[in-house]
Amino acid sequence: MIGGGNAGLAAALTAARLTGRVLVLDRGQAAMRGGNTRHTRNLRCVHGQADRYSPGTYPFEELWRDLCGVGTGPGNEKLAELTVRESETLPQWMTEHGVRWQPPLTGTLHLGRTNRFFLGGGKALINTYHRTAARLGIAVRYGTTVGDLVMDGDLCTAVVTGDGTLRARAVVCASGGFEANIAWLRRYWGDAADNYLIRGSRDNDGLVLAALYAHGAARAGEERGFHSVAIDARSPRFDGGIATRLDSIPFGIVLNSRGSRFYDEGEDLWPKRYAIWGRNIAGQPGQIAYSIWDAKVRRLFLPPMYRPAEAGSVGDLAVALGLDSGAVTSTVREFNAAIRPGGTFDPGGLDDCATEGIRPAKSHWAQPLDTPPYYGVAMRPGITFTYLGVAVSEQARVLRTDGTPMRNVFAAGEIMSGNILSTGYLAGFGLTIGHVWGRIAGAEAARHAHA
Amino acid sequence: MPTPDDLFAEADRQLNICNSCRYCEGYCAVFPALERRTVLETGDITQLASLCHDCRACFQACMYAPPHEFAVDLPAILTAVRQASYRRYLPSPGWLRPAWLRPVWRDGRGARATAAIGVGAALLALVAVTEGIGALLRHRGPYQVIPYPALLVTVVLPTAWSAAVMLRAVTGYWHDTHGPLRDLANWRALATALRRAARLEYLRGGGAECPYPGDDPSPARRRLHGAVAWGFATCFAATLAAAFLQDVLGIGPPYPLLSAPVILGTAGGISMLAGCAGLMMLKRRGDPPPSVGDYGLIIGLGLLALTGMLTLVFRDTPAYGLILIAHLATIVICFAIAPYTRMVHAVYRFLAIVADVIEQA
Repeated sequence: MIGGGNAGLAAALTAARLTGRVLVLDRGQAAMRGGNTRHTRNLRCVHGQADRYSPGTYPFEELWRDLCGVGTGPGNEKLAELTVRESETLPQWMTEHGVRWQPPLTGTLHLGRTNRFFLGGGKALINTYHRTAARLGIAVRYGTTVGDLVMDGDLCTAVVTGDGTLRARAVVCASGGFEANIAWLRRYWGDAADNYLIRGSRDNDGLVLAALYAHGAARAGEERGFHSVAIDARSPRFDGGIATRLDSIPFGIVLNSRGSRFYDEGEDLWPKRYAIWGRNIAGQPGQIAYSIWDAKVRRLFLPPMYRPAEAGSVGDLAVALGLDSGAVTSTVREFNAAIRPGGTFDPGGLDDCATEGIRPAKSHWAQPLDTPPYYGVAMRPGITFTYLGVAVSEQARVLRTDGTPMRNVFAAGEIMSGNILSTGYLAGFGLTIGHVWGRIAGAEAARHAHA
Repeated sequence: MPTPDDLFAEADRQLNICNSCRYCEGYCAVFPALERRTVLETGDITQLASLCHDCRACFQACMYAPPHEFAVDLPAILTAVRQASYRRYLPSPGWLRPAWLRPVWRDGRGARATAAIGVGAALLALVAVTEGIGALLRHRGPYQVIPYPALLVTVVLPTAWSAAVMLRAVTGYWHDTHGPLRDLANWRALATALRRAARLEYLRGGGAECPYPGDDPSPARRRLHGAVAWGFATCFAATLAAAFLQDVLGIGPPYPLLSAPVILGTAGGISMLAGCAGLMMLKRRGDPPPSVGDYGLIIGLGLLALTGMLTLVFRDTPAYGLILIAHLATIVICFAIAPYTRMVHAVYRFLAIVADVIEQA
């Protein structure tokens, strides 16, 4: 198993029940094991019954509809349907492998019905799987980089690691996307990529993905496809995770480096819009933007991890953020004047507080910025993961450009999510893909190794 | 050594990261309590620190734990804040905190052992003056060794003094972490808090159990702690039962094997000894190794239980007199220094749970 995230471990746990010898290679050191799974917290799955952890039901048809409603719909409908169908069996499988659950986290009520939260988040999940793996006799090597596969026709005989070549009867590639490979991102985004911050592991540089391409694997997914959100510009270049994201946008206005607004901050409910703001910011000069708000709303959203800039006037706030105070003051004045009078502010729903006569409009939650102190934070695009991967069969076998499979090379997780997701994203569906395809890949790999 | 301000600033930094993440919400009461607060004053941080039972489930689950650059280790920083708060709320030097006793509460084992020997010697002198030193050997029950009034004064004096010190400390603590004292007269909250404290609700990692001292979660620490706490309570009940027999029914010691004081005392003593031994073994495996002082409370409670058990086992032998003196000396020192030891964690944690129950209502 190349990769020790949820997909690799689901594959390992499944394979270990069918075959004797399973080895997991994790690129990270033990303390940082688990790849991007470390930063996850829930998964989306079909469930016919409500329970303590998932209030309400979420039928197959509804998840399928939700999946078709994001971006341009599923990449490969057959594989997507299989994913949705299999999702229903995941909670029980996870519980059997030691996972514990918790009620939906506060501030995520919109996900409570559709998604299940595991206790403690992704690192706890990884720890749990490792304990179960140890009981099943699965071997794990940390700090191991796989640079290439040794192919003999359509058969892989070994993987090449930083410290030697390992022979293998079957290989599961569960090594994630390439979002941490800035040079690779530059191919599609040019210099702008230098201003992207990567929310997950710095190890996700796509080495295995590139090796598979070099051996003739077919592509699946958009090469420019990535999931990104607005995160604090002070976040670390890599691995900042959940804590650095900002939820202030719908409660104030967002300016670019020229001090102008550029997108409707109140277009729709935040859970439906947070994932477009990474791209919105990526499209602005210098890939930077500024969220500003006032004292009225400051308790309405999760507090930013880094303290926001604070000032007694809009002009001073602009200076504190390094913006032109004249430009920002006039944008705010214009915005305040455009607010339609008589609206009733309701942070919990699509209210009738909107602007009139300015572009872009703010369609909901438009209140004048008039109550000091004023607050502001500089934001960058935070890339969560990339969609471009390898095409797979229903058995998770990696397909080549000529349509034939690599007989003993399988793929699971982010590295093949482009088969299922095209451009949009559903919160928690990455874990669903990782688990469903990890199990399929693990079972097929074990079967092949035994055949 | 970090100043209290450094500790609060570091706790504030880490808690701010936690409040932006919230993955650990299901582990214990610390995270929901954190989320109810928008600004963290020092009283809030002290409250969160006391609410934390150091189960370390959140640390194990934290993707921001070292070597991550955010370096989040909430159990460690909250433990540091908690221990600093134990000192902060003690009365300032004065009659409640006499300067000449400073080495005893400050310096740990050596000074405490010396003090215990001193108390033992004083008790021996007392025996010599009152009953004559021969009483140590030809006893029929404790009062032939030490007369009842002298024994009562010996035990009640340090206990009352400790209670006064704790009362002063607790008043200041409650004021800073919660507010008006009258809120403590909330019987419903006290009952709920007592149940949560007795079950060690927040040492369960939300059901995942406590990974201390290693990586594998297990109920061992909670059960061992329970053995010590319940053993202590049972021994206390044995004392009450003896007092009842003696002062109400007029039946003096020694009590038969099948009497309430002996049964309760034996069960409690064994439970405490087993719990202390187990906790000591867990601590030895702890990483990093604990400092000598960390064992203090366990050793003290273990000695209380051990000397108490020995008085029972040897009560029909000539050794009884000396063992009784040793037990009494241990009681005097343990009770007298209690406010200056980690024994106070029981009081502060209980108050933190009460405050939390009131907040949730």
